[in-house]
Amino acid sequence: MEERPQHRLSRLPDNSALKQQELPAHRLYFTARRVLFVFFTTGIFCLCMGIILILSARSTQEIEINYTRICANCAKLRENASNFDKECTCSIPFYLSGKMMGNVYMYYKLYGFYQNLYRYVRSRSNRQLVGKDIKAVDDCAPFKMSDNKTPIVPCGAIANSMFNDTIILLHNINSSVQIKVPMLKSGLTWWTDKYVKFQNPSSKNLADEFRGTTKPPNWPKPIYDLEKKDPRNNGFLNDDFIVWMRAAAFPTFKKLYGRLNRTHHFIEGLPAGNYSFNITYNFPVTRFHGEKSVVLSTLTWCGGNSLFLGLAYTVTGAITWLASFAMMAIHIMLKNKKISVFHQ
Amino acid sequence: MERIVKANDREYNEKFQYADNRIHTSKYSILTFLPINLFEQFQRVANAYFLCLLILQLIPEISSLTWFTTIVPLVLVITMTAVKDATDDYFRHKSDNQVNNRQSEVLIDSKLQNEKWMNVKAGDIIKLENNQFVAADLLLLSSSEPHGLCYVETAELDGETNLKVRQALSVTSELGADINRLARFDGIVVCEAPNNKLDKFMGILSWKDSKHSLNNEKIILRGCILRNTSWCFGMVIFAGPDTKLMQNSGKTKFKRTSIDRLMNALVLWIFGFLICLGIILAIGNSIWESQIGDQFRTFLFWNEGEKSSVFSGFLTFWSYIIILNTVVPISLYVSVEVIRLGHSYFINWDRKMYYSRKATPAEARTTTLNEELGQIEYIFSDKTGTLTQNIMTFKRCSINGRIYGEVPDDLDQKTEITQKKEPVDFSVKSQVDREFQFFDHHLMESIKMGDPKVHEFLRVLALCHTVMSEENSAGELIYQVQSPDEGALVTAARNFGFIFKSRTPETITIEELGTLVTYQLLAFLDFNNTRKRMSVIVRNPEGQIKLYSKGADTILFEKLHPSNEVLLSLTSDHLSEFAGEGLRTLAIAYRDLDDKYFKEWHKMLEDANAATEERDEQIAGLYEEIERDLMLLGATAVEDKLQEGVIETVASLSLANIKIWVLTGDKQETAINIGYACNMLTDDMNDVFVIAGNNAVEVREELRKAKENLSGQNRNVSNGHVVCEKKQQLELDSIVEETVTGDYALIINGHSLAHALESDVKNDLLELACMCKTVVCCRVTPLQKAQVVELVKKYRNAVTLAIGDGANDVSMIKSAHIGVGISGQEGLQAVLASDYSFAQFRYLQRLLLVHGRWSYFRMCKFLCYFFYKNFAFTLVHFWFGFFCGFSAQTVYDQWFITLFNIVYTSLPVLAMGIFDQDVSDQNSMDCPQLYEPGQLNLLFNKRKFFICVLHGIYTSLALFFIPYGAFYNVAGEDGQHIADYQSFAVTMATSLVIVVSVQIALDTSYWTFINHVFIWGSIAIYFSILFTMHSNGIFGIFPNQFPFVGNARHSLTQKCIWLVILLTTVASVLPVVVFRFLKVNLYPTLSDQICRWQKAQKKARPPSSRRPRTRRSSSRRSGYAFAHQEGYGELITSGKNMRTKNPPPTSGLEKTHYNSTSWIENLCKKTTETVSSFSQDKTVKL
Repeated sequence: MEERPQHRLSRLPDNSALKQQELPAHRLYFTARRVLFVFFTTGIFCLCMGIILILSARSTQEIEINYTRICANCAKLRENASNFDKECTCSIPFYLSGKMMGNVYMYYKLYGFYQNLYRYVRSRSNRQLVGKDIKAVDDCAPFKMSDNKTPIVPCGAIANSMFNDTIILLHNINSSVQIKVPMLKSGLTWWTDKYVKFQNPSSKNLADEFRGTTKPPNWPKPIYDLEKKDPRNNGFLNDDFIVWMRAAAFPTFKKLYGRLNRTHHFIEGLPAGNYSFNITYNFPVTRFHGEKSVVLSTLTWCGGNSLFLGLAYTVTGAITWLASFAMMAIHIMLKNKKISVFHQ
Repeated sequence: MERIVKANDREYNEKFQYADNRIHTSKYSILTFLPINLFEQFQRVANAYFLCLLILQLIPEISSLTWFTTIVPLVLVITMTAVKDATDDYFRHKSDNQVNNRQSEVLIDSKLQNEKWMNVKAGDIIKLENNQFVAADLLLLSSSEPHGLCYVETAELDGETNLKVRQALSVTSELGADINRLARFDGIVVCEAPNNKLDKFMGILSWKDSKHSLNNEKIILRGCILRNTSWCFGMVIFAGPDTKLMQNSGKTKFKRTSIDRLMNALVLWIFGFLICLGIILAIGNSIWESQIGDQFRTFLFWNEGEKSSVFSGFLTFWSYIIILNTVVPISLYVSVEVIRLGHSYFINWDRKMYYSRKATPAEARTTTLNEELGQIEYIFSDKTGTLTQNIMTFKRCSINGRIYGEVPDDLDQKTEITQKKEPVDFSVKSQVDREFQFFDHHLMESIKMGDPKVHEFLRVLALCHTVMSEENSAGELIYQVQSPDEGALVTAARNFGFIFKSRTPETITIEELGTLVTYQLLAFLDFNNTRKRMSVIVRNPEGQIKLYSKGADTILFEKLHPSNEVLLSLTSDHLSEFAGEGLRTLAIAYRDLDDKYFKEWHKMLEDANAATEERDEQIAGLYEEIERDLMLLGATAVEDKLQEGVIETVASLSLANIKIWVLTGDKQETAINIGYACNMLTDDMNDVFVIAGNNAVEVREELRKAKENLSGQNRNVSNGHVVCEKKQQLELDSIVEETVTGDYALIINGHSLAHALESDVKNDLLELACMCKTVVCCRVTPLQKAQVVELVKKYRNAVTLAIGDGANDVSMIKSAHIGVGISGQEGLQAVLASDYSFAQFRYLQRLLLVHGRWSYFRMCKFLCYFFYKNFAFTLVHFWFGFFCGFSAQTVYDQWFITLFNIVYTSLPVLAMGIFDQDVSDQNSMDCPQLYEPGQLNLLFNKRKFFICVLHGIYTSLALFFIPYGAFYNVAGEDGQHIADYQSFAVTMATSLVIVVSVQIALDTSYWTFINHVFIWGSIAIYFSILFTMHSNGIFGIFPNQFPFVGNARHSLTQKCIWLVILLTTVASVLPVVVFRFLKVNLYPTLSDQICRWQKAQKKARPPSSRRPRTRRSSSRRSGYAFAHQEGYGELITSGKNMRTKNPPPTSGLEKTHYNSTSWIENLCKKTTETVSSFSQDKTVKL
């Protein structure tokens, strides 16, 4: 059979590097020198980082006051849901031994509150919260509609369970003079939350917009009455509301409640002395065996962090170093023992 | 059920509704494609599983992941498969159409009309012309040849390239080409129902009030090609799907690789594991709901109908099953297929497996078996056409004690010498065969000098054979040979000036150095397997009667005249030299007969022929009687040319611990001969066992004896090199593992094999065979080939490869794990049935040692990484369960779960799975030992899987608990809280993507630019998709689908989140590096060593590996091997196969007119003998 040369050529595979599996390539070798170098540098880095983090974590000042038990009478009152309209306040004095320098942040902290339950996390309506369609309550089960079939605003389990204690920090300059520590209720939220994710319906009068809706069952007042004085902090744009709506990852969490307004007396931070928290105790935690506390804290260069990260870095660094010494020892031992010649 | 067909009567035949001649191998039509294809696809376990998962996800109560996480990949997979199936089917449609539209001449309305094949119906009479494919199964009616003979080539059916003879009934052969008479032919055939027996046909033709019985010799089957017959007429008996060819095309067995099976088992384990996790989490949920959740009800009360914690636990179970299903994502199956496809393309593209002489590249016809190529333990090879080229060349000869032909040198140098040395120039003669080459001028000189012995020697070659000559249109002499050995000898004689010109039943005309001489052929003493010789008795023009004989040296030497003593010892030295080179030898002798003696003998022969009883014995006795007192002339040595590189390939493959068994339909002598020629059998083997028992008892006895012998010798050899038969522990304990010292070989013939394959002897055979270094099975039928393969497959649990070129290898190719076809030959059957095909046996080395090894290596690496990755990815949900009240909350964003496996991490691992190389191809060729990890299943097995899983679990722990610890009491740089669920999800997702990318970077040992692009690209794509999905714009459009707005921006600008990601990466990667470093240092594998060495001397070429010794030491051994069939002598002397140019004279001394049809029956009987038990599962495609 005569083969035409063109035919012959066409069946010969291309001589390209890809097709012949001869692509220029870099082979990765785990040579002792490289591995040990990487390990030693990583070890040094981790150790340094760990020490820095530990030092900075220790430099932060933090006061946490758990008021679940302290305000026992209020807690007891709240256990019965029928007392929801009865006000209960509670004052917790404390002594600040050293002054808290710089920006001081006030958080409320909840223990054992599962904001990460699957049904809980999903029980919200972003369409409603963005102000587009306040009657969109489809995703809000089990808090979609009130008993008389009017949509709840804001709907959903997250909104319904919003933390509603009011905490006021008072500074006792002396036994008689008490001044209220100025706290900013702005800048508590992410920019995107405040300006993208949460929007009030565009109207002068919020109450009109929310007509035909009802407040969540646990709320004492409707959404448009959260902060009547400041329209930019009212309705869906209320900072406390936005902060609450950002569900926490774990059952123990702290959320920002206020920032110290560094003016007058507090220009450098919180001076040492006697303080007290005046708390309007609304949020029931004993019902689910939870606890709540209030936290005052300063920050470092990398935010407010606990010792964990620093310790973890230190431990990792130390282990890496140990490992690299061990590896070096083994390598040297083997090198002395045998001549690594490839026997063909 | 029988079939009744009436010729030329479509109306009559229509009432039976026989299938017409249209065939369709295609599966779908446009309308049926979608339903059938979908139905087929969802029959696959994986697809069905994902469908179930999808349905689960649609139930709102338990749907923990949105439906798109499953449907997107599922639709992708289903579509891809559907497209592939559709294209496959399109090509089947095309080939069907091509076949169906072939033209044939059909007799309709007393006229020959051109008709498409598909319109041919049972009962039609069609005309075939030379070299045409037969359209349907036909009853031969008449042909252009005398006696209604016609010749067909059945290569497509049974792989035999020699021509078969078919003969029409004499009543119908009279019809000739007379269209009118043919059109009036109205015979009715009553015959068996369609079946797949190629060698059987039973039927009766009723015509003109008489009945004629029909058998297989009257039938031409579809798929045959008409040869040497200018035309023939046939009546269609079976058409289309009823033809034997189509009946034989059984379903191709779906082959799976051992990795596939392991993967399926592992997937089942994983499902079990998932269910356990699901149960743990469900119990956890029940407890949590009753202890804590109960009190939490104010904030999140239960819906109606879910009022118990147990029920909640039940729902949680399903929710977690849905969440955790990503351990075995659909993309695993897709990626495996893609990688295999890539590897198949590399095989197709490999220039080093391209055979330029036939312009055939290697072809991976199956794309799903590649990694199995790296695990082969047994190779079953055909001989003819696979190890050999099926070309015989006359190499050397010994005439009257003198050797002619090239001097044997070391094989490596020999090739050089042949290039330098001038071949003998034959061009001066007109009638030479240009292909022929001979490298010794002395023979020509001897001929010119007129050495009578040399002349006589060549005369024997030119006279004593069964070759038919023919002159083609250009006037060239064409020899039709039925045995390639004879072809070689006659061609050699022709080139040396003794040209066989023509023959009639009683004369042979040859041209002796230019002068035409006609010999009278007095008797033809045909070849058979017991005689191992053939002789002719001729009267030369001078009136002398001579007996010329050629045959096996062992037989012929016993028949020599005592005066030959000296010559005999000299010649037998030469013969053993030839044998040592693997040449096939024949001894040549003659005897002068005396007129009177011959006449007496001939009379006795005629009497014997006429005898009714013990005819064969009598004849054999007479042959014996006259073939004695022979005078030795010399010996011929014919080379059954091995394919290029066979010896090196065999040596290299056996270094790779692959056992090669030769399974051939050929005779024992030829098989052994080839065994020696390609160094599979050597003279320094401790023992060669030949099993040739005739019944089960004998065979068992011989096997036992061989085994005893073997173990006995073992005990004696104390310091021998211990060859571990198989290092891997076998799960099967039916075979006792024994270590064998020394080299042994087993040769077993088909007859004994049939007994040995019986159940109780099977194990003995297998045990013995596996202890031997070489196993040669000769005279085996295609079915037996498959049985041997099955035996090893089943009881050794080993991965097998079968390689062959002919249709008789089809069954073996199909039953082995991997079937390889030698392409570029005429018959396509083996290739069509095979999984891989290439043109030369030597490419097997590259296929296995390079492609197979790489495929296995890559696939294992891929699987390890993939399981690791998905365990790390998924188990995080399990840990998170303990912190979220077991509420089936996912850790990641739904979109991340959807895209993780198909976008973020698919390409780098694909690139590794397709391109990775540990050692270069040259190194894997040079160092066959690198192949062993595949055979021992070292790179991916259950243990490795557990290591991967543990690695994954460790990573998931690091991935979850480091962020958990860090997030415990964290605040953002501006005091805002960042420990929210969404930030946590983003942190985890980012850490995961970075960790698995670093891991793949460490796993990739061969970084091409593609790997760079994919790895860096994947990370870049992750971040760009992340920022897009967290952007304001997309939130504005779909606020409910993309609730993570602004998250990436806020989280990923926090220093502490990056510190968390960094720490997670370090903590999850460094232990792996330590582990690898120690492993490479403390327990380096061979490939590690080669890598190191490769790095050390990048420039230097590797020293060539131990090359096999190509010189064979010679010892006294017969090199006799002769591919010849009995029965052709009869055909010649009866003159049936000769053209009727001038009718053969009726008178003649030696004309044998007994039983005029017996020869053809004999011949047919003998030719079909070897294929009598043809396997049933033979696939033939047209």
